[in-house]
Amino acid sequence: MHTIDLNKVRKSYDHFVAVNDLTFSIEQGGVFGLLGPNGAGKTSTIRMMIGITAPDSGQINLFGKPFERKSLNKVGYLPEERGLYKKMKIIEQLIFLGELHGMQASAAKQKATEWCKRLEIDAWMQKKVEELSKGMQQKIQFIAALLHDPDFIIMDEPFFGLDPVNATLLKDVMLDLKKQGKTILFSTHRMDQVEKLCDSICLINKGNAVLQGDLKSIKSGYGKSNVQIEYEGNGDFLEKNPLVGAYNNYGNYVEIKLAPGADAQQLLHMVAEKSRVNRFELMEPSLEEIFINTVGKSNA
Amino acid sequence: MRNILIIAKREYLERVRSRSFVIMTFFIPLLMFGVTVVPTLLANRGSNETKHMVVVAADRDTAEMIRSHIEHKQDDKDKEKPANKLDQKRGLPPINFAVEVSTNTVDSERVALTAKVKDKKLDAFLWATPDAIKSRKLDFVTNDTSSFIDNGVLGVAVNDALRRSALKSKGLSDSDIETSLQSVEVAAQSPLGKGAPDPRVMFIGTLGIVMVMYMTVLLYGINVMRSILEEKTSRIMEVMLSTASAKDMMAGKILGVGAVGLTQVGIWAVTAGIFSAGALVGAAGLIKGVLSVKLLIYFGVYFLLGYVLYSTLCAAVGSMVNSEQEAQQMQFLVMMPMILSVIFIVNIFQHPSSPVAIFGSLFPFTAPLVMFSRIAMQAVPWWQIAVSIGLMIATIYGMVWLCGRIYRVGILMYGKKPNLPEIMKWIKYA
Repeated sequence: MHTIDLNKVRKSYDHFVAVNDLTFSIEQGGVFGLLGPNGAGKTSTIRMMIGITAPDSGQINLFGKPFERKSLNKVGYLPEERGLYKKMKIIEQLIFLGELHGMQASAAKQKATEWCKRLEIDAWMQKKVEELSKGMQQKIQFIAALLHDPDFIIMDEPFFGLDPVNATLLKDVMLDLKKQGKTILFSTHRMDQVEKLCDSICLINKGNAVLQGDLKSIKSGYGKSNVQIEYEGNGDFLEKNPLVGAYNNYGNYVEIKLAPGADAQQLLHMVAEKSRVNRFELMEPSLEEIFINTVGKSNA
Repeated sequence: MRNILIIAKREYLERVRSRSFVIMTFFIPLLMFGVTVVPTLLANRGSNETKHMVVVAADRDTAEMIRSHIEHKQDDKDKEKPANKLDQKRGLPPINFAVEVSTNTVDSERVALTAKVKDKKLDAFLWATPDAIKSRKLDFVTNDTSSFIDNGVLGVAVNDALRRSALKSKGLSDSDIETSLQSVEVAAQSPLGKGAPDPRVMFIGTLGIVMVMYMTVLLYGINVMRSILEEKTSRIMEVMLSTASAKDMMAGKILGVGAVGLTQVGIWAVTAGIFSAGALVGAAGLIKGVLSVKLLIYFGVYFLLGYVLYSTLCAAVGSMVNSEQEAQQMQFLVMMPMILSVIFIVNIFQHPSSPVAIFGSLFPFTAPLVMFSRIAMQAVPWWQIAVSIGLMIATIYGMVWLCGRIYRVGILMYGKKPNLPEIMKWIKYA
């Protein structure tokens, strides 16, 4: 069962094609990453999924049916453009948004109170939004998307502007929701933040899907061609070495992308000759690397 | 429908509970009270002032006559015209005059008196020499023109005095003079008979009601625009759109803000009713004579139609723009027909059946004010009323469709103000 299916969905503004015949599905209970650089068409895609705009062509099925407004009561959306009524009290605002999602006012109030306690902002419930810090407003926004217990949660740049403590809090909540069998879509250009959460991804660039599928199989397709080395001593081996394709020196450690066909064992021997190796690890490429690689290719 | 009501409810409660609503609701009647009542109160208190003046004439009789007229005219005026409350309401305080007479008409005396006035030792003098009387033009020298002339006392008194002395010189008796100079009141009356309100009262009262309609439509139309702009700048649009349709959002907003407008007008009407019952406010008393149930119903109909039409346009404008400045330029354009109606309103009162009035009362964007004014001033053929209401409803229908499409795209657009071709494209988007 798929939570959402997109079939050759297309949207253009004037002569600019924002989304070009995009096709993907999200399994129920799956965590899906919609990834791409700024302006790739992520937000345009999401807006079509929830009926804010209509596709020019193609078909979108939400919960197995063509889009209907009623289905939105089971969708929670955290838009990239965060916004709340600044002069409204937190609790009243949440009740209002809950009611719009089909909840009764009393149920919305109860749920909102629960969430505020869980995210540790219950002391602020009677305050106005404008009195809150940015981070707290983010939490309110987050609650607004989850209040009505949606089956499908769409988060556009969810970690944007969050400090590490709150980002972890949010991540825990998301993992918990995943356990409950909710379908989650993350849309972001910050791969590192969602890499560990996603089951499958769709990478889009300039409105086109350039890479999609199960994250594990995508990564294994690239093989373990990366090496992380922690060493003490001479770093000369990094320069003019036929085994090293490219590298990133982070100070404490260095990340090396092996040259095509290079043997990692050979590199280990070479490094161990001149330096003391504390850690030598073969790794899959990071999503970010795959992303840069693929997008670079598609731009070329 | 449920969403429209939820959105309207939020809009209504947020606004009615806001400080600015409370201030507006109580401040405006207070302002009206201030404009109408306070000057009257002040006027009654300011009567202690005494103006010193000199009347210069060749013979003592003429000078004395003018003097006695000036000194008594103020009292007479109050006694003679109790009906003319409007003059009283202008709030000019009655003045006591202390008048001296002089028969010294040489030029050096005039120079001396002028110097006295200049030095503020004297408030004024009137130069009523035989030459001046003959030329029908008397010089009145004063630093303080307003309190003498505006009271109308001086001109009336001098004319009266001169007429009497002229008639007397022709040999008429005092009683004959009295009879011939007695003023006659011209009383305006409606053809509907004695019970109907005075047309002049009707005129001012209707103007007042039309202005209330104009102000509230303008005020609340602009309110709709500003609150959409505010939602746009606070970026809440997308959160809302993930559950409510753009159409519901626009309808809810217009409904909610409109309900606030009705509440406010309602409070004002009740306040005016209470005041006029207590006969405290002259203006409210006037309205009482003008308002009939029929007119109240038409007020409701045209206010609602006008508000819905203009707030729909304002919603589209609010969705298009990104800042208050941009909004102000656009709102002027949108409100132009309303402003034009007000400019022509007195003309329409005077000629309610002129082609301009008839056109204005049928043209949907001017119909609310113009047709309402016509209905208040005369019996308008029923078919014209029907056509104007029908045209307005049709226009509203079209505008809701058109503005809804602009709104739907506009609320998600940030950046530069769209130009006309871009807006046309928005309308065509799926």
